Amino acid sequence: MAVKYVLKLYVTGVTSRSKTALENIKRILEEDYKGVYSLKVIDVLKQPKLAEEDKILATPTLIKILPPPVARIVGDLSNKENILLGLDLVAVR
Amino acid sequence: MQNKTKKGAVEKVFTGIRGFDEILMGGVPKGRATLITGGTGTGKTVILNEFLYRGITQFKENGVYVTFEEDKRDIIKNVLGFGWNYGSLIAQKKLAFVDAGALKEMTFESGQSYDLSPLIERVRYAIKKVKAKRLVIDCLDNLFSRFQNRDAVRQALCQIIAELKELGVTVLMTAEKSGPEQSLSRYGVEEFVADGVIELALIKGQQQFLRRMFVIKLRGTNFRSGTVEYEITDQGLVVYPKIPVENIFAKTDFQVRKGFGIKDLDDILGGGIPQGHMVLVSGNTGTGKTMFGMHFLMQGIGKGENVVFVSLEEPIEQVKKTALTHGWDFNRQEKEGRLGFVTTNLIDISNDKLLYHIISAVEGINAKRVVIDSISSLLSATMSEEQVRQFLIQLSGYFKANGITCIMNYLSLSNFGAARGQLLSHLSTNEMRLSSVTDAIIMLLFVERGQKIKKLLNVLKLRGSQHSKEIFSYEIEKDGIKMGEKYEE
Repeated sequence: MAVKYVLKLYVTGVTSRSKTALENIKRILEEDYKGVYSLKVIDVLKQPKLAEEDKILATPTLIKILPPPVARIVGDLSNKENILLGLDLVAVR
Repeated sequence: MQNKTKKGAVEKVFTGIRGFDEILMGGVPKGRATLITGGTGTGKTVILNEFLYRGITQFKENGVYVTFEEDKRDIIKNVLGFGWNYGSLIAQKKLAFVDAGALKEMTFESGQSYDLSPLIERVRYAIKKVKAKRLVIDCLDNLFSRFQNRDAVRQALCQIIAELKELGVTVLMTAEKSGPEQSLSRYGVEEFVADGVIELALIKGQQQFLRRMFVIKLRGTNFRSGTVEYEITDQGLVVYPKIPVENIFAKTDFQVRKGFGIKDLDDILGGGIPQGHMVLVSGNTGTGKTMFGMHFLMQGIGKGENVVFVSLEEPIEQVKKTALTHGWDFNRQEKEGRLGFVTTNLIDISNDKLLYHIISAVEGINAKRVVIDSISSLLSATMSEEQVRQFLIQLSGYFKANGITCIMNYLSLSNFGAARGQLLSHLSTNEMRLSSVTDAIIMLLFVERGQKIKKLLNVLKLRGSQHSKEIFSYEIEKDGIKMGEKYEE
């Protein structure tokens, strides 16, 4: 199956907060979008230029690139319902 | 002017904004953050831009622009209007942006478990990239309104400011102020991070908005208190600082006389006007006040002095034409840098602005003689009597300290039609009131005698000098003023 969901997760360094956010979004994606998503994790400390280009002000920030529209969620991504609603996603199953 | 301070005291950096550094007595505190507050349209962003631009181009201090409001591209486009080419400064690695303008896409918050470390990182990255010594933030309200977690925003700001202090980077930042009561205190930032606060305001004038500036605090350093006026011109901001009144030091010299070059008149004055005197030339319309002033300036030029003509009644072009009919080529003198002109719109006129223009013109060519045509037009404009008096006190303080001699024309309506034997009986009280600021008064009068209007001159007062007390007749002729006989009835 082709990748239909493209996401970027911005974090700042390896902190408990960034770990939590990454675990949370991975769980959601593995549960509902297995095989059709791509998630790129970007560390602001290592790539400040990308943070500048994407105008990132806070971390963790999750950006949904595809499918349109582009949307962002700021926070540790602990509330699944909130995330699906905010990113305008519906489960594929 | 210099911004060297006592050892250990807070150092300052010049902003490079005209007049602004004088108010701040040397600039903004170095390595500290200064907050500019004010409503929409007051020019907060212009100050930030000029601080950066002058820093880079005049003081070799590179800069970083952090924007939470306008898009980077829009800012670059906007400042081109002032002739500031940000594109080339960015290419030369002298200017960097932290572009955090509004996003096209929606942003949601899921809980408040986040921080603004990317902002800090981006600022660090930009500072490093151009080795910045100046940084501006426009504007804080925008940043606060974007996040629900105010603590996270406050924390990040405090950290940024603290880091910049370590690096010796000087910060200017803006915040909206929409009412007299409202201040940035609502975010709890002003108290913690800003070492200086400058407030800007727009006031409705008769024909245009007047802009006023007020320094509220500048921690650990001196500044001039009081409200001052400023303008936004096509070359940036101009602040009109009040001229401090200097009464201690005067270069008045009774031995050095400044003549008119009118035969007999200089003798009547005991050789001319003593250097540093403020002279009121009072007379009705048609008595030739402007002409006396022109004589005075041309005589100065002839003696190798540079001069300034302040024309408040007529357009400068018209003054030049009048002068030319008497054989004085003002255009040439102006081109050769011997003669400077000052003019202003009489509506919405302000003391500070006019003083600033006069003093700039005088300093520009190191002028030693000034004619103001006329003081009465200030009174008939929107300046109150008290304002005119203050204006004259400040001007006189500056002129005396610099040994500049000044002729001020004054339109006096009450000198016409004096009765026989009572030539001075109608002397207006205005001249008397201005008398404390003037060192000399030359009265010009009309009298009607034998079916003719005669012009008469009398030196009413000349501080510290002998002068003739007689009344003399004079005529205005093609090549200037000709003094006549002593007038006796």
